[in-house]
Amino acid sequence: MSEPRLYPGTGRDERTTFAPYSAFDIPADLRELHGRYDVEATARRVRNFRYAEEWMMMIMGGWVATIPELPVKTGLGKIIWECAQAANVLGERLPELRCGRKAVTASESSNEGFAGVIREIAAPDRPDQTIEKIAGVFDVLKPHLIEAYERHSRETDQIADAPTIELLDDIVRRTRGHVTWGKDVLDRICDTEGLRERRRQRGDALREMLTACGGVTGEL
Amino acid sequence: MKSFIEPNELARDSRFIRQDNVAATILSTLPDDVDAVVEALERLDPMIEKGVRGTEAEPLYEEYGPGFALVTLNEPLDPTSPSAGTRLALRMHGIFVGELQALEGAGRSLWDFPDAPWEFKMNMARQCWDETRHVQIYEKLLEHVGGYAGMFPESTFLFECACSDDPALRVAGVNRGLEGLACDVFRDMIRYAEAIGDETMRQAVDYVLADELTHVRFGSDWVKEFTKGDPERYEKAQEFRRKVDKQFSFGGARSEREDAAIPIAWEDRREAGFTEQELDELREITADGPSRDTMREAARQLRERHHARRAASAERASA
Repeated sequence: MSEPRLYPGTGRDERTTFAPYSAFDIPADLRELHGRYDVEATARRVRNFRYAEEWMMMIMGGWVATIPELPVKTGLGKIIWECAQAANVLGERLPELRCGRKAVTASESSNEGFAGVIREIAAPDRPDQTIEKIAGVFDVLKPHLIEAYERHSRETDQIADAPTIELLDDIVRRTRGHVTWGKDVLDRICDTEGLRERRRQRGDALREMLTACGGVTGEL
Repeated sequence: MKSFIEPNELARDSRFIRQDNVAATILSTLPDDVDAVVEALERLDPMIEKGVRGTEAEPLYEEYGPGFALVTLNEPLDPTSPSAGTRLALRMHGIFVGELQALEGAGRSLWDFPDAPWEFKMNMARQCWDETRHVQIYEKLLEHVGGYAGMFPESTFLFECACSDDPALRVAGVNRGLEGLACDVFRDMIRYAEAIGDETMRQAVDYVLADELTHVRFGSDWVKEFTKGDPERYEKAQEFRRKVDKQFSFGGARSEREDAAIPIAWEDRREAGFTEQELDELREITADGPSRDTMREAARQLRERHHARRAASAERASA
């Protein structure tokens, strides 16, 4: 008895005996082709995301020396490294989106307004401004980025742009942890109505700026 | 946020007390001469006294006078010594605040040099996380030996010496000078932990030492990269590192000498990428300074004079 054929030949009677199923049927692949962003648009958005992550890393690096609360200093150390890793993987995605090999370090603000938001977030440098510092990044910018990353993951081509979705998933998971940490710090530090008001004011002012410029991608 | 902050701008909570950096700087310039050491520390006495008030170093000051640093800093850690506990806590605290300043130095490198290559930023970001763990480890080790954060005054001498405005000099100072000193101190701590059978301390410090070798390698790579094709800048970076090494030798307390309180960790430094030429220079740079006998005699005289002053003052008060 001859062995069953494993690979099809060229003639009709040389086909294999395996049933014609697609790997996509088990389980059923419900994803659909086509998303809101083409290669060029995704590349631009990845550069925008990278800009935010890179600047958060640098800003928090600068702040470490100017924050008196020891657990806040040490908490930021790990977050700085995770922002650096996020910026790094976003950069590594760029050459895969036809941006050229040297694009791995390309960051780009969506517009001058968003660059202004980043400058404003970085502005506080006095030791009595921990609330303004932490509220800017952890109450406003990081929650906004989670929204933007999740929106991109939802709206982009689920199959063709899966590598971007995968890396954003990982960044979102870590960023959620950062937001929880920042909230815990601020809840603890803002222990009077006056301090809670400072936190609210800082958040409101920055959210207004973010809305005005369209956020990290300029497309809110 | 501005770039390039001064050491006195490092933010601390209310537990910490700052020490003037002059005393640490002067120690690195003293000759092997008892009178010179005594005279220098007598001049600094009012400042030293002010710096220790309200800290656990105050009883040491009351006992030894302005020379208490000579007694604590320049003697090796000896588990059989009656003052071993205090000396250990003092060293742990010094390392703890040193790690804090190293974290701040790495963080500032991210902000102060925004146009630096991406790989440099990645290395500095990683160093922030590493230094963060070191701060956490030493805070716990400090508690492990019965101490606490803020128990002794903090000198920002490490940040001051190492944080240049030129990135090539910054990495030469922080990553090669400061982290090189860390290699020496941590190898000595591991020896001490082994001697007293403290496995918790030995293992934690061993992990920290492994990180420090990585940071020295970052420094070696970036000094080369930042000074590529610019021999003058390279020499400037090397000169800066030599200056930092001299200051971090605390007058020979960290050296190859037999009486050194902190021996140089030659093998660790080789593994970290220091060249033989650099190690020879270090040997030479750290060879000067007062011997332990000189320090001991100076400490004895300073203690006598301190007690004489205290007695005279008590007499005047009672009269």
